[in-house]
Amino acid sequence: MKLIVKRKINPENLFVNIFSLSVTMGIAFLIVIVLILFLSKDPVKTIRYFFIGPFLNRYYFGNMLNSVIPLIFTGLGIAIAFKASTFNLGGEGQVYSGALAATAVCLALPNANGFIGGGLAIIAAIGVGAVLAGLSGLFKMKWGTDELISSFLISGAVILIVNYFITGPLDDPANNLLATREIAKQYQFMQIFPPSKLDISIYFAVLTAFLVFFFMFYTHQGYEMRMCGLNREFSRYGGIKVKFYLVLPMVLSGSFQGLAGAVSVMGTYHMSVKGFSFGMGWNGIAVALIARNNPLAVIPAAIFFAYIEAGANAAMIHSDVTFEIAAIVESIIYFLITAQVLKDFIRYRKRRPE
Amino acid sequence: MSYLIMEGISKYFPRNQVQANRNVNLVVKKNEIHAIIGENGAGKSTLMKILYGLVRPDKGRIILNGKEVSIHSPMDANRLGIGMVHQHFRLIREFTVAENVVLGMEPKKNCLFFNRDKSVRDVRSVIEKYGFNINSESRVSDLTVGQMQQVEIVKMLYREADLLILDEPTSVLTEQEISRFFDNIRELKNRGKTFIIITHKLDEVKKISDRVTVMRGGEVVAVKETENVDQKELTKLMVGKSVLFKLKKYPASPGAVVLELKNVSLKLKRQEQPLLDNINLKVRAGEIVGVAGVGGNGLGELENVVSGLFKASEGEILFRGENIAGISASKFREKELGYVPADRLNRGSCLDSTVRENMIITKHHDFLKAGVFSQKKISVFVDNLSKSYSITGDTSAPIGTLSGGNIQKVILARELATGAELIIFAEPTWGLDVASSEFVYENILKLKRNGIAVLLISSNLDEIMNLADRIVVMYRGRITGRFLNDRSISKALIGEYMMGIRNDFN
Repeated sequence: MKLIVKRKINPENLFVNIFSLSVTMGIAFLIVIVLILFLSKDPVKTIRYFFIGPFLNRYYFGNMLNSVIPLIFTGLGIAIAFKASTFNLGGEGQVYSGALAATAVCLALPNANGFIGGGLAIIAAIGVGAVLAGLSGLFKMKWGTDELISSFLISGAVILIVNYFITGPLDDPANNLLATREIAKQYQFMQIFPPSKLDISIYFAVLTAFLVFFFMFYTHQGYEMRMCGLNREFSRYGGIKVKFYLVLPMVLSGSFQGLAGAVSVMGTYHMSVKGFSFGMGWNGIAVALIARNNPLAVIPAAIFFAYIEAGANAAMIHSDVTFEIAAIVESIIYFLITAQVLKDFIRYRKRRPE
Repeated sequence: MSYLIMEGISKYFPRNQVQANRNVNLVVKKNEIHAIIGENGAGKSTLMKILYGLVRPDKGRIILNGKEVSIHSPMDANRLGIGMVHQHFRLIREFTVAENVVLGMEPKKNCLFFNRDKSVRDVRSVIEKYGFNINSESRVSDLTVGQMQQVEIVKMLYREADLLILDEPTSVLTEQEISRFFDNIRELKNRGKTFIIITHKLDEVKKISDRVTVMRGGEVVAVKETENVDQKELTKLMVGKSVLFKLKKYPASPGAVVLELKNVSLKLKRQEQPLLDNINLKVRAGEIVGVAGVGGNGLGELENVVSGLFKASEGEILFRGENIAGISASKFREKELGYVPADRLNRGSCLDSTVRENMIITKHHDFLKAGVFSQKKISVFVDNLSKSYSITGDTSAPIGTLSGGNIQKVILARELATGAELIIFAEPTWGLDVASSEFVYENILKLKRNGIAVLLISSNLDEIMNLADRIVVMYRGRITGRFLNDRSISKALIGEYMMGIRNDFN
């Protein structure tokens, strides 16, 4: 029997991905250099700080790595949801409320054992995130409400509620900040790279990425979840409980957002400050997109993201670049990269049989 | 005199490896109602999609009113006065009739704003001019299916279409709605419009059309004046001569009843015509029951209901005596029943995931060790299946990179490996080449020999005649005939039941 096997270029091919991503990055950096040439009085110095600033001393380098931690968690959370073709746009509110929950538990148990109280704080943060995102999944299952919209709206409301707690009942009057009291010493994660704020949870973050990878590609639920993400009709035909996988990925996604909030509090800030986690949820989406929802690729994507941010900060401190210019430069890079990634992502989504 | 000439049209779909049109010629005269008939996959729809600019032909030209035209999009077609009403309506349910009709060519107020009043007036005048009975201000979601179809036609008339293509226009209508629809068509014809109607209902061809073009296997096999042919002749032309495969048939030795359908009906909201109407059916172990019919007569619905993906509105589905009509799709799958679906590219496989992952879907629980997949077990299973069904190609590549025949082999292999007592096949060879089709047939016959019950739902009559021990024919959601497949029945006879010319039960 004659059989024809046709080969197509597999768009998931790692090499093709990395190559096209590098080209885009190159173009983005080129535009950034041109911009700096125009906007800075001392462009050589600015460019130097922008690109190698994060590596100049232990403090900058450690802080850059420290900002990788929440990015890995939020990136993983979004990657899980996207992989199942459910969309969690509520990261902002989930991270923020997770942070508040962790802070509240720590403050409520000032004298407990570090592991027990800290564990409870983390569980509380995960729970709050899971419930918030899970609600959107549940609505989708029950009434077909678009989880993309509902998660965004719920998050928007929750941010205001968290603001109320931080500036109201939990506010520390002894402090001029709009912030809670500091959590007890036994809850603060061990710092591993002084004088920077880098703490021990970075190991935990990297380990989690491997665990999520294992979950997605080696476990029963991971398989069912990915199949539902690729083709719900096929999954239903194959006997998978499709509706369950509208909720589970959202719950998992929210858990990781909440966790990101908890580690930010316990590792870096040691308190909840009004608006301190602003942007973490959105950045998680960008990280997941760059990583193409691959849990292991989330690690380098988060590092890249943190590097750009640290570079912009260094240029701002050491050169004549203002905060606005740094922000513009950052957003150009993100814009180009997410645009390229999104383009491929959409093409991939549309690749359906005629 | 010829209004439209389509000349030498050819179209090949590489994805499904189907030659949908082969050197097709079509001539339509001004002010006639021209029917195009043919079985599923005969190439009617592709031809019309080419005329309407939805599909680009590989070869051929289109001449309209004596001038060669190139049609790249439905917009081009509309400009040339060609309108199409699709089988599945393309209406926005939340919009009013008028809003739907003017959509895309809205009358403007001050060159900028939507002129609602004018659109209502304009649409009303079109409706009145041609004698339709819809209100231009009602919401489409409140209309009956017949009225929705009128909206579609009004939409084309508003765009000043002179040539209207109607794709299976009566498939969702009740008898009364059909006669009303025919009145509308005749009225429009009197006012100078030309029609192309795609259908496979021969009584309607006789009733309404002036001329008829018959297609089979992507080619035109006959063009006739409607008054000069009868339905039997059209049936013969449509189904063609039997293609006999070199299949060793085994006598059936049917055992216990495995599957039984009792008074199964399926009805959708707002649709008066039931999709399945009181279906009774039995499949025994070791026999092949073939359900024949032309597409749109309930075969797809029967497939969906029997496989548990749709819930029947009424009736019982007994699997080994247990009623499984109400249970969920995932519970259905836990029963010993395999299912090879007609839609093998979307339902039967997940094109973006690997062959390996496609192969394990039905029984993926069996490969678990403490919640984690045993890659070893999976590899053994996948290698076994690939070998015994001679599936070539890399099993860790996406299944979408395989040919249509190989995809069907993967599905077949997977479903037969479940150790099922009943296997449902729907259009198992649609779009496959001869070699792959024979492979599928051999496997179906092997199942029967091994005492497995087979339900074969197919609009390919040759397939049914070659394989089935008993034949059930469906027309408009009802069973019209039941036969033992022995030498005494002919293809033409079954064809007449399929076309609704004969009916033993009404």
